[in-house]
Amino acid sequence: MILVFFILYFLQINFFNWFNIAGVKPNLFIVLILCMGLFMGKNIAIPFGFICGIYLDILTGKQIGISSIMYATIGLLGGYFDKNFSKDSKITILLMVAGTTALFEVAVYIYNIARNLIPLQLLGFTKILLIEVVFNILLTIILYPLIRKSGYFLESTFKKRKFLTRYF
Amino acid sequence: MSKNRKSTVVGIIITSLILIFLVVISNAKIEKISQIGNPFTGFVNNIQNGMVYLKNKIAGNQSFFINVDEVRQENEKLKKENSELQQSLRELEIVKAENATLKEYVNLTDKYSEYTTHPADVIQMDISNYSKTIIINVGKKDGIDVNMTVISDKGLVGHVISVTDDTAKVQTIIDTSSTVTSTISTTRDSIVVRGEIDSDNEIRATFIPTEANVLEGDTVETSGIGGIYPKGIHIGTIKSVVNTKNITNRYAIIETAVDFSRLETVLVITN
Repeated sequence: MILVFFILYFLQINFFNWFNIAGVKPNLFIVLILCMGLFMGKNIAIPFGFICGIYLDILTGKQIGISSIMYATIGLLGGYFDKNFSKDSKITILLMVAGTTALFEVAVYIYNIARNLIPLQLLGFTKILLIEVVFNILLTIILYPLIRKSGYFLESTFKKRKFLTRYF
Repeated sequence: MSKNRKSTVVGIIITSLILIFLVVISNAKIEKISQIGNPFTGFVNNIQNGMVYLKNKIAGNQSFFINVDEVRQENEKLKKENSELQQSLRELEIVKAENATLKEYVNLTDKYSEYTTHPADVIQMDISNYSKTIIINVGKKDGIDVNMTVISDKGLVGHVISVTDDTAKVQTIIDTSSTVTSTISTTRDSIVVRGEIDSDNEIRATFIPTEANVLEGDTVETSGIGGIYPKGIHIGTIKSVVNTKNITNRYAIIETAVDFSRLETVLVITN
């Protein structure tokens, strides 16, 4: 997972700097941590999201904290979705990605506005957010078979014990 | 089962194509789009030429009776001349590009000779869509510290917000959290410029004095107030002035002198 994180990091700073839609990049970390929550459980996704958030804030952010809290929240939501929704439905996964992307960016933006006392630029923000959500959805559609295959493999590895305690 | 797999593969291919299409279209410049349109316009224009030819012939236009051989020879001659000219133009363009690069390096240090500067390369852009920070390859070891001003040969880039031993994080002036107190060069009126969330080459000038006469094309430079940026560093040119019902709320859009999408070399003012 750490290797996947670094691959995504270098994709974000290099590849998506030119492969973007109207200058807007996707946020693949959200997809990664959501999938971790879904397939590996919240106990792994929450700390992983939190550490990734702090690491990203240190590397590129202007303040430390908000990203880590939000990535951890996405890990928690992944665990919650796992219990309440089917992972076999592609549409459900896409809706989860869209929802968590919007939630993450809105929370980070509101925090930035409050902390730095910057004026709200609602139109510009909404435009970027919509493109980012669409970008994340399109990439999830493309990566879905890979996510599903590796997800079930990880689930069988990490949730083996849970099945035993849950059903026996 | 195999039908399902087939439809999944088709779905992935279609989605990939849609994504590539969106990326290409959203980043393409109008000149490039018109080049792609060449075959289509060519088709229409050829038919149109034929129609005009017919129309002229019917109208008995005298120009169609000129010697065709003579025209062909002249055409060949002109084609040859054209290719020679294009060759020399290409050579000139190469020389021009080399000259521009050399000039940039010389200007960079000459223009701001009053300051002690340290050159640096931009090694990373921000991963987020909402903040515009950059990382440069100089740090504490090179004498870089927080709040030092960063410039390029064209003008102001931003200031250092954090520093490690080998790298420094720079908040650019196009970041929404960035505010720079500036003056309009011609009228010497004080304004505050702030980054726009959805633009990489435009910033907004606010707090324009009510009596100030702001004109498109006026240049804007740092005022030196605020304690971070030295006085007189070029920021950009006023692109448009937006008047509101309440004159105190009017603002201007400034086109930054620095092209942040192509920023590669910067200077950090260390004194």
